[in-house]
Amino acid sequence: MPCPSQPRLLLLLPTATYRTTAFVEAARRLRVDLTVASELPSTFEQAQPDRLLTLDFSNPERAAEQAAAFARIHPIAGVAGVDDTAAVVAAAIAERLALTGNPLSAALAARDKHVQRNELARHGVPVPRFELHTLGEDAADRATRLRYPCVVKPLRLSASRGVIRADDPRGFVAAVARLQAILEQPDVAECGDWARQVLVEDFVPGPEVALEGLVIASRLNVLALFDKPDPLDGPFFEETIYVTPSRLPEPAQRAITDCAQASVAALGLREGPIHAELRWNAGGAWLIELAARSIGGRCSDVLRFTARDAIGKQQVSLEEMIIRHAVGLPIPSLEREQCAAGVMMIPVPGAGVLREVRGIAEARAVPLVEEVAITAHPGQALVPWPEGSRYPGFIFARGGTPAAVEAALREAHGCLAFVIE
Amino acid sequence: MDRVEIRITAEPIDNARCKFLVSAPVHSSGVRRFSGAEEAKGSPLAEAIFAIPGADVTEVIVSGNLVTVVKQSAAPWQALGKSVGVAIRAALASGQPAIAPKPAAAAGGLDDDALYDRVAELFDSQVNPMVARHGGRVELIDVQDAVVMLRMAGGCQGCGMADVTLRQGIEAMLQQTVPEVKGIVDITDHTAGTNPYFAAAKK
Repeated sequence: MPCPSQPRLLLLLPTATYRTTAFVEAARRLRVDLTVASELPSTFEQAQPDRLLTLDFSNPERAAEQAAAFARIHPIAGVAGVDDTAAVVAAAIAERLALTGNPLSAALAARDKHVQRNELARHGVPVPRFELHTLGEDAADRATRLRYPCVVKPLRLSASRGVIRADDPRGFVAAVARLQAILEQPDVAECGDWARQVLVEDFVPGPEVALEGLVIASRLNVLALFDKPDPLDGPFFEETIYVTPSRLPEPAQRAITDCAQASVAALGLREGPIHAELRWNAGGAWLIELAARSIGGRCSDVLRFTARDAIGKQQVSLEEMIIRHAVGLPIPSLEREQCAAGVMMIPVPGAGVLREVRGIAEARAVPLVEEVAITAHPGQALVPWPEGSRYPGFIFARGGTPAAVEAALREAHGCLAFVIE
Repeated sequence: MDRVEIRITAEPIDNARCKFLVSAPVHSSGVRRFSGAEEAKGSPLAEAIFAIPGADVTEVIVSGNLVTVVKQSAAPWQALGKSVGVAIRAALASGQPAIAPKPAAAAGGLDDDALYDRVAELFDSQVNPMVARHGGRVELIDVQDAVVMLRMAGGCQGCGMADVTLRQGIEAMLQQTVPEVKGIVDITDHTAGTNPYFAAAKK
């Protein structure tokens, strides 16, 4: 089969994502032929059958068959998925078409927190002690036999939705009831049997970090290590600030990277982006979560990489790196820019309908702040954690030191006032 | 008398392009697109933006409350965005029109009017019937120098997949049907969408 003159990327974009523009524009900059596949039909799919495709994201094997049929007419050089579900579908397609990607088994293990915990523990990666429970069990009875504090979490929801800390049996029963209510919401309950199960694990104290990486030939390349300066001690785990480079001591950073590399190997991930959450304490580095995809939300805007060519220095986005890797184009650099950078996922200020956000200009005027992006629309219902999973916006800053960047993010956030009814 | 606060929100599309949403109208008579400093003469806001040191601005598009700036320099929008904001505030505070009216088309130049008619026909006959199925609408605002300026409305405005509709759908159809079109500019304020077809989530 002849190869296309420009490599074609099959980009798996779920319809509800912030990531569309970043990936589509990156593909345009790289001049790759782009086909966007989603779980729902696009308005232009019939008119542009080589550029738009509908795949069954709920059935990776079926999606791989659909992609193979498409590739017989329009050869594909690479495939990339942008969220947890799409990453699994991308792996199935990569296996089917012998493209760069992860084994399907590895992507499935990364998506399901219980399977992931089992695989990591089996390979000796430090993870919290965990148990799998089924909704409908006698939570009060189970509560008497647990160690506290513990954390109750769903197997697949993203952005820490439904993750709750419990400090005693009474708290555990309440946490399970609250998580059950989330899992019984129609949009979640219809997703499968995993929505009837709950992971209960030890709470691991200590600072948490996020590691962004690109796996190439089973080797983890660390793109950025983010500190999370706000303690994530619960009872809910809404994220706030990410700042890179990390201020943890060098030995801690090495241990964290080693733990992440061991996790990649344990899960069998071979190619593509990862986003991992780890904790660090006297016991060393602990793997909390690892996803076979890049960082979520608008957060990737905080990452820029520096490449040098004949023209001079160029800035390369995370999405460009991921696309280059997927379609086999050279990767000019894995080195992040020199300055410190940070993003604040703006906390949900309370439950209600958003009417207005004041103080955006003042927030933008804070030195080192690059952007204040309010992604919630007026009229949108804001839902706090643990039921919610959508941030009303993002603040980005760059500067000379992580401390200066963190201070700028906090000052800018302090300028914002959310009017909620 | 109290001065009316001018609020400006920057929405970088990528490192080359950024939209600036202004709380007051900047140019109420359609769309003006400037592809260089020479073209900007007579329009104080565009002149000022092209003159920002180190920005290497290549294009300025102004429509209603929206100013879109395209640059070549690698400098981040952090510093440049503030300079654009200063230019916008100064132009609005001057009391003079920030942007001059669109001049009559020069004889022998690109026939934007003819292109407009062909693009409008495409929008009416194919593009809008398709997006209407998802509750959306695409308005053809203008064609200048063979660049199509459009605004998305209804379900398209604020939709997480708007860029896919724009690049994979509309732009592709334009390339096939009206190949003389050199580019496409979306002047939609997507943050003002109140009824997005798909709500964006952190995924």
